[in-house]
Amino acid sequence: MMNNRKREIRLGTTYSFPMGIWLFIFFLVPLLIIILYSFMKKGLYGGVEWEFSLAAYRQMFNPNFMRVLVRTIVVSVAATFFTMLLALPCGYAMARSRNQTLLLALIIIPFWTNSLIRIYAWIAILSSEGFLNETLKFFHIISESLPLIYNQGAVVTVLIYMYIPFAILPIFTTIDKFDFQLLEAARDVGANKTRAIISVLLPNIRSGIITSFIFTFIPIFGAYTVPLLVGGKDSYMIGNIIVDQVTKTRNWPLASAFSLILTLLSTLGVMWMMVSSAKERSQSGKKNPSFRQGGNL
Amino acid sequence: MNKKMHFIFIVIIFTISIVFTAGCAKEEAVKKQSDTNTLYLYNWTYYTPESVIEKFEEEFNAKVVLDYFGSNEDMFAKLKAGGSGYDIVFPSQDYVSIMMTLDMLTPIDLEKIPNSRYISDLALSKATYDPLMNYSVPYFMGAAGIAVNTKKVTDYPRDWSIFSQTKLKNRMSMLDDMREVMGDALAHLGYSVNTTDEKELKEAQQLINGEWKPNLTKFDAEGFAKSFSSGEFYVVQGYAEAIFEEIEEDRWDDVDFFLPEEGGPMYLDSMVIPKGAKHIELAHQFIDFIHRPEIYAEFLDRFRFPSSVHTEAMNYTTKEPFYVESDLANYELKNDLGENLAAYDEIWQTVRYTD
Repeated sequence: MMNNRKREIRLGTTYSFPMGIWLFIFFLVPLLIIILYSFMKKGLYGGVEWEFSLAAYRQMFNPNFMRVLVRTIVVSVAATFFTMLLALPCGYAMARSRNQTLLLALIIIPFWTNSLIRIYAWIAILSSEGFLNETLKFFHIISESLPLIYNQGAVVTVLIYMYIPFAILPIFTTIDKFDFQLLEAARDVGANKTRAIISVLLPNIRSGIITSFIFTFIPIFGAYTVPLLVGGKDSYMIGNIIVDQVTKTRNWPLASAFSLILTLLSTLGVMWMMVSSAKERSQSGKKNPSFRQGGNL
Repeated sequence: MNKKMHFIFIVIIFTISIVFTAGCAKEEAVKKQSDTNTLYLYNWTYYTPESVIEKFEEEFNAKVVLDYFGSNEDMFAKLKAGGSGYDIVFPSQDYVSIMMTLDMLTPIDLEKIPNSRYISDLALSKATYDPLMNYSVPYFMGAAGIAVNTKKVTDYPRDWSIFSQTKLKNRMSMLDDMREVMGDALAHLGYSVNTTDEKELKEAQQLINGEWKPNLTKFDAEGFAKSFSSGEFYVVQGYAEAIFEEIEEDRWDDVDFFLPEEGGPMYLDSMVIPKGAKHIELAHQFIDFIHRPEIYAEFLDRFRFPSSVHTEAMNYTTKEPFYVESDLANYELKNDLGENLAAYDEIWQTVRYTD
């Protein structure tokens, strides 16, 4: 018995070894470089000088950057909120549908197109002479083009479109294995439909909701191309600052410091996700492997 | 349900593998040819005439591989990060001098480039960092200007103050380029585009933030030509070759492209051979080939450029350029700002980051 356990541990270590190496080279080392760079002096022509400096962190607390940070938070929260709002009924409908494979394919197929092309498609839809404005004009609903693009509204709209699959899939997988008899049971003991969904369904798919929240909020928080292409003159987000600091201003330490903040934020999010799904597992008391998979997808 | 999970999984793996193999295939193709007579060029988009490349390939029995960049900064970051393998790169003046300072360039042997005698004195007098062409041979000198859609706008000033016109609000864009926008503002106020004077910079900041920015839809260096062509923007600051590339020739009459007489920032792009280039001989041959008058004329015709660095090619061109050499008279090369970049950056932050 004891020997078996030891063997299991040894095998586990062996099996996780390749993954460990991968993580080390492609995650830990770059992260360490970023941390290191953020504490150095900026080189005049990019790169860093090997000298300890806190300049990057001092520069970060500059009202111009703070303004962008606030804007990034507002845009991310709004986009994530609407994404989740749309993803919940979508996930529910998919889980209850008979054509799940078809619906899944429909959600995944847009991924096969390059994201830049999809953003340019949105430009074609939203611009003043674009499909939407022209259609509305054709039916005489409007006479002057609506300003649909190059503003925050366009940024949020396109962000929702880009990340909604990441929100739908985890919600769908958790709802899919939800035992709907529980809802009937709730109705039997006197809950109305809304009440049953709020007190029975939602707590049971908590891990899916948290996963989809994190899967949308974190990439949106670091968004770069969407605010650049469909945003207006005041749509810059943190991701744009990072790119500017690396390429245009040649301030790599500052770019590293901003990246570090983004990385820390995502780490916190993932930890929250892990803790909450572990809690849920221990509460429900069963270890269903496909459930775990669903939570982490 | 497990089946479904598998399905998702397979689709994801499939997608990822497509993306990765596409990337690898390209790299492999590049590797395969590296041993043969191949020249690797790293140039701006809208800047390399295909017909010239084809002629070069035929005459020298060589293969030319082209790679593009959208800004000096991108190009520089890539080379600095160790992205070597290019034989000729086409940086602008400030980056030529930076790359010379940082010892990133291979000296050029002018004896192998007899056609360098056609380079104009004007161009060399502007290239104060390398007037003897020890490291760089000028390729083209030009400037960004203003394009106006004359179908939509009829009455407008032909200078930078066009961006103060409130009646054109939300129909105009300027480049997302600190030096270009600030340079225009400085030139409009009568200052040097390379000034380091705090008061002058402050005035430029007030002009941009107070008068120009409220009327602009966005600062756009990527899609302005497309948006101008589609009719979204009526007035854009940008490069002629990028703008006209997006517009069919029969609509060119509706476009007024001009360089304001008051001046502004100008660029001088040169051909340099980075350190670590593997086909130095072929690179020299290419630089010489480009400056053959009839070949250079082909380049000018392709992009409707004026002959700003070449003394002979205008005798061979067959097409009217979008602007003429004398338009550049009041334009000033953007120098490398070195330490003073920070002062510009601080102002640019208030333009780009705050409402």
